[in-house]
Amino acid sequence: MLEANISKKSKSYLLSGREKKVSGGQIFFTENLDSQSILTCKQRMPYAIAAFLLCYLIIVVKIFYACLSSGIVISGFEDINRENITVIAPVSRADIVDINGTIIATSLPTVNLQVAPKPKIKDPEKLAQKLAYIFPDEDYETILKKLKKQRYNDIKRNLSPAQQAAVNNLGIPALEFVKSQARIYPHDNLFSHIIGYTDIDNFGISGIEKSMHNRLTQSTKALQLTINTTVQDTIREELGKAIVKYKALGATAILMDTTNGEVISMVSLPDYNPNIKIPVGDRAMFNFATQGVYEAGSVFKTFNTALGLESKKIKVSDKFDATEPLKLKGITVSDYRGENRWLSVGEILIHSSNIGSAQIILRVGKEKQREFLLNLGFSEKLSEFEVYEKAKPLFPAQKDWHEHTMAAVSYGYSLSATPLHIISAFNAMINGGIYYYPTIIKSSNVPSPRRVISENTSKKMIPLLRDVVVKGSAKSANIDGYQVIGKTGTANKLVNGRYVQKKVMTSFLSAFPADSPKYSLLVVLDEPKGDDTFGFVTSGWNAAPTGGNIIKAIAPQLNIPADFTLDEQRKHIKASFEK
Amino acid sequence: MINTKAAISILWTTLTCVVIFGSFILKNQVHELENELSRINKEIQSDAQNIQVLKAQWSQLNNPQRLRKLASEHIFLNNVRAEQIINYSALPFRYEKASDKNVAIAGINKKQYKQLVRAERE
Repeated sequence: MLEANISKKSKSYLLSGREKKVSGGQIFFTENLDSQSILTCKQRMPYAIAAFLLCYLIIVVKIFYACLSSGIVISGFEDINRENITVIAPVSRADIVDINGTIIATSLPTVNLQVAPKPKIKDPEKLAQKLAYIFPDEDYETILKKLKKQRYNDIKRNLSPAQQAAVNNLGIPALEFVKSQARIYPHDNLFSHIIGYTDIDNFGISGIEKSMHNRLTQSTKALQLTINTTVQDTIREELGKAIVKYKALGATAILMDTTNGEVISMVSLPDYNPNIKIPVGDRAMFNFATQGVYEAGSVFKTFNTALGLESKKIKVSDKFDATEPLKLKGITVSDYRGENRWLSVGEILIHSSNIGSAQIILRVGKEKQREFLLNLGFSEKLSEFEVYEKAKPLFPAQKDWHEHTMAAVSYGYSLSATPLHIISAFNAMINGGIYYYPTIIKSSNVPSPRRVISENTSKKMIPLLRDVVVKGSAKSANIDGYQVIGKTGTANKLVNGRYVQKKVMTSFLSAFPADSPKYSLLVVLDEPKGDDTFGFVTSGWNAAPTGGNIIKAIAPQLNIPADFTLDEQRKHIKASFEK
Repeated sequence: MINTKAAISILWTTLTCVVIFGSFILKNQVHELENELSRINKEIQSDAQNIQVLKAQWSQLNNPQRLRKLASEHIFLNNVRAEQIINYSALPFRYEKASDKNVAIAGINKKQYKQLVRAERE
């Protein structure tokens, strides 16, 4: 009985020492299992463990991913962060700044007020009244019409924050605000012809706004010009005074850096305010500096003399007979208030002798003249220049280039060019002989510079042009402290195919300081009157003094030291203390 | 042996709990940071807009025409003229030991002269 009890118990319980160790501390009963079953278990066990571990791992990884962030792929994490940190520019059209970073065109984020088709406006008349009160420059009838139509019409563009708040306070669900941008020109008229303006959809339609539209919309980095705001303002101011004083129809001035072709200032009067988008008549919209093709007159004698010296057909010491008018086939060349004597090359410039100039070019020859002027860019539009409005010069064709054409071109008739063409060519005459393509944008891609005359010829031109200012027609531009070089030019205007006396275009082409000309200036006055100048309308009476005044005002701004002697400087100190 | 087995299980369970708990905390922190980032970005955007407006306003206030008008009304300053820019060596008292005669020539009184000499030393 006891035996039986023991054997019964032994089925359920194991006595110490009767159990069998398998592996890893696992205990198996040996009573009813044969060794084959145990072996199978042992073989299957690692698979089961691996399967469970895999499940476990999957769950852990899933939980881990789920906990980190919903929907974010870990490998893309850095990219998302970087994207978030980038600040989106508040406006999509880039600013335009001057050489010193002063903003001359910018955009402001604004909103437009739009009327949506739903929900229906209950009392359009009353709402129109309220809106007309908020927008005093909008017509009640027009607003009412738009409110009645309810078809996504703009009621008012570019709302001020106060107007936006007022409309918001009306609480009309059908009135919606649409984000927009307004192009602003903080300097009003100052840069009108350079910058141009945009239409209501911010699409450039004139000036740099048009020519650089893609650049301005593709990158929000400011577009830097070579223009200097203070110099531009000073020149505009002086030109404005000249227009009033000489009762001129218009005036233009271009200031350039002779050593790289950068335009520092370009003014054309009359001008307009680009903030007020109403065309104010053709003349104000006309940029004479780049579009005004005109016969410049005697300023071309500068090119003629340089060509003569470059061709080695004449020397500075040569003399030419200007005792009487020069008769050529088709025309008689005469001088304005002629000297009626033999003139040296220098005197031809000083007294602006047409007869002398014609003789120089007759010695040089037609082909060389044409080639020289072509090389100076007088036959082609300055298409790479960044202001949109440009004109092609009127360059006589080869077949029309007769002896009288040669003579006329030598003193600035028969060939019409824009002020920008003239001053760009002039730079090469005085900067050592290199023609720099004009540009108004810092780091632009204009054609590379080219040599047009030798350095030696260019050096010879400077004293000749200095004499014009000291002794010649440009005496009124001989200002204290700065050695100005230059040449005046007066050309009668063509009216109905005939040259009219007293209707002239006067030009003064100059540069300073004389020892190494850094800046060149061209001043052009359109039809100045002689009321204040004893009836004289030639350039020496109006354009040259205007040029002198401009140089006097801008040279200190451009950090050009005056060349006063120590004694003169002391006199100035004394004078200022006495004041 | 049983203890080792239990210890391993407990360790794994604890680790899992810690990882899960840590992940939740991390997730919350990331959420908070994302919110913070979004708020800061919005602020930056708003500041950038304000700066844009202020830049335009600054440029308008610096319009040379306006400044000229204000200068003529309030401070009586004109543009610098060429004769107002002098070399340092042109100051008479540098080389000439500032005798009274020179001071008289320069038309300044002694007090002004002393100020200028002091300025020169500095």
